[in-house]
Amino acid sequence: MKDKLKYLTWVSLKRKISTKWFLIVNILLCLAITCIVNIDSLIKFFGGDFNDKRVIYVVDNTGFFYDKFKVNFESLVSNIDDFSNFSVVADDRDISLLEDELKNENKNNLILVVNNDPNNLINCDVISNHYVELIDLQLITSSINNTKVELAIANSSIPVDVLNSIYDDVSINRVILESDKSLHDENITIVMNTIFPIFILPFFMLTIILIQMIGAEVNDEKSTRGMEIIISNVSPSVHFASKVIAGNLFVIGQTILLIIYCLLGLGIRKLIGGDSIVNGVIDQVMTSANDVIATGIGSQIMYILPVTILLMLITFISYSLLAGILASMTTNTEDFQQLQTPIIVVSLVGYYLAMMANVFKGSLFIKFIAYIPLISSILTPSLLILGQFNLFDVIISFLLVILFNYLLIKYGLKIYKVGILNYSSKDLWKKMFKALK
Amino acid sequence: MLSVNCVSKSYDKVLAVDNLSFSVKPGDIFGLLGLNGAGKTTTFRMILGLIEPDSGSITLNGEKIDYSVTNKIGFLTEERSLLVKMTVLEQCLFYGTLKGMSRDSIITKLDILLERFGISDYKNRKIKELSKGNQQKVQFITAIINDPVLLILDEPFSGLDPVNVELFKSVIVELSKKGSMIIFSSHRMEHVELFCQKILILVKGRTVLSGDLNKIKKNYERMNIFIKGDIDIDKLSKIDGVLGISHNNDEYVVNIKNDSIINSVFKAISKCNVTKFVVNEASLNEIFLASVGEAYEG
Repeated sequence: MKDKLKYLTWVSLKRKISTKWFLIVNILLCLAITCIVNIDSLIKFFGGDFNDKRVIYVVDNTGFFYDKFKVNFESLVSNIDDFSNFSVVADDRDISLLEDELKNENKNNLILVVNNDPNNLINCDVISNHYVELIDLQLITSSINNTKVELAIANSSIPVDVLNSIYDDVSINRVILESDKSLHDENITIVMNTIFPIFILPFFMLTIILIQMIGAEVNDEKSTRGMEIIISNVSPSVHFASKVIAGNLFVIGQTILLIIYCLLGLGIRKLIGGDSIVNGVIDQVMTSANDVIATGIGSQIMYILPVTILLMLITFISYSLLAGILASMTTNTEDFQQLQTPIIVVSLVGYYLAMMANVFKGSLFIKFIAYIPLISSILTPSLLILGQFNLFDVIISFLLVILFNYLLIKYGLKIYKVGILNYSSKDLWKKMFKALK
Repeated sequence: MLSVNCVSKSYDKVLAVDNLSFSVKPGDIFGLLGLNGAGKTTTFRMILGLIEPDSGSITLNGEKIDYSVTNKIGFLTEERSLLVKMTVLEQCLFYGTLKGMSRDSIITKLDILLERFGISDYKNRKIKELSKGNQQKVQFITAIINDPVLLILDEPFSGLDPVNVELFKSVIVELSKKGSMIIFSSHRMEHVELFCQKILILVKGRTVLSGDLNKIKKNYERMNIFIKGDIDIDKLSKIDGVLGISHNNDEYVVNIKNDSIINSVFKAISKCNVTKFVVNEASLNEIFLASVGEAYEG
């Protein structure tokens, strides 16, 4: 029987992966993920208005503003250079000439006229041919204000050492009063809050794939009397186990492929030298992660990640058991698709509550829901990261999922045995309850 | 030997099979007959171990049928049992492996059977691309690929043309000669009549007739006389023991109560211009209809 289980699992897995659609879908996934990781480079590749170099003509009537402004402006936009393509040049032409140029030739350029102001050091005119985007205006305004402050301080007779201390960053010492909380944990929380959604979304997507695959396969076999031939040669429990194992192996394999596609995308990104806001976020997360590791306390990550992955794997089994049982009760794929909707909704509840857990910190409702199997795989790690769950809570979640799986196997198998050879939806629930007795 | 002993099965309050008993010896071809819903499929499912009987027992060569013996059983379902997205080879490998066969032995046997059924070219074709008749051939091949000790055939000739019916018959008879026990179910009585040695007729789960087909026919007293010629129908119908007269093509079929009536009929037509006078036993179809009818009336 063991050989037959292996064979059935292999056949089931082969039916999922040795199809042209599996190949096509994975090619599309690979392309999509690579594109998403390199979305900024892709956008730039196709070009657009954002590629036009724009100039800010600075008409400096003060004689001291331009140099400092140029430094300040370029420093401010350096982090977002992909999206702000201004260059700053000094210009001593007549304003009317510059305005004519804006009207007739370089319509996206700007003119910044700076004048002395007896009350406020300087005043400025920002002249454009048409509307200026808010972010551009804010960049210019901030740079002007920063420049003005610098000029004002420089003009005052503040000693050099005092001036240096003004410009130095403030030394901030973080103190957390709760004894069981640490700065390291806080850093981890920041990192995990960024990383965790990366786990949740694929998990949710793979859960739906898993449910649908098992349901479709069982219904496919049920749509013919082939099920009778199969069950006359292997027990329903072996058949059930083969579907669950094959479904989970598929999901694990698909997860590995998704990771490979991400790595491929990042590799391409490195090759083409892409850097942008997206890159900035990745760098920021990596820097934070490195800081955490450098402090020598990756200990929390060391158990949060395995806990999350393990809970997800056990929950995949729960979903596949449930999908198999429900599929055995239905007589066609359409019925199963209707029956699977509540499971997907349950999964969605977990997904949304995980997103909301950070907002409603300490919510008893969310804490209670986080113990519930099927949802716990998403919520428990979220609460663990937020410090609302401890190891004891995690163990409870684990035990509840294991208990849930045990009950699904014990009672679900009884339903499965009756269900897979049932071809009629008449008195369905009656038959199922009878099977449980 | 397959022994079905006093087996009963009910679904809720409906008795599907009622105290059914029969046995099939190696080499026997056993006809299990009945109208739709008579309990045939339930009986097959119980033999295959798919459902447990409420009472009674089923044994194959003295052993209870479980997964240790199902490898030796072949089953052809009335409805399609093929996974149509698979190729013929994949399907046969799938069912063959589930019956405990090795890949090599399945392929060797499959090549022989595909050749025998004239569908070697379809080995790597998807089942959904095949005609209904060829699908039935593949289904039959999957049922016999393991040289079954017990072969259950539920309407095996469905969708077949007369040439292929003959082909199937020859294979079934061969398997019987090799010692396979064959249980055969069909609504086509002429097929059952041709090669079943024993039959059992089920009506609403109850056995209404069972035993050796020849003996059943012999014991069934009614007979048919086929007459061709100018005869006086009114005169014939007044003979005591003549149950009915029908006109079939250019001949008359006189249904009589038993063989003692033959002489009276012969005398009544002796002076007429008759070119054919043939006395036949009742067909299985008549016996079946009479048995089922009586059971319903009863």
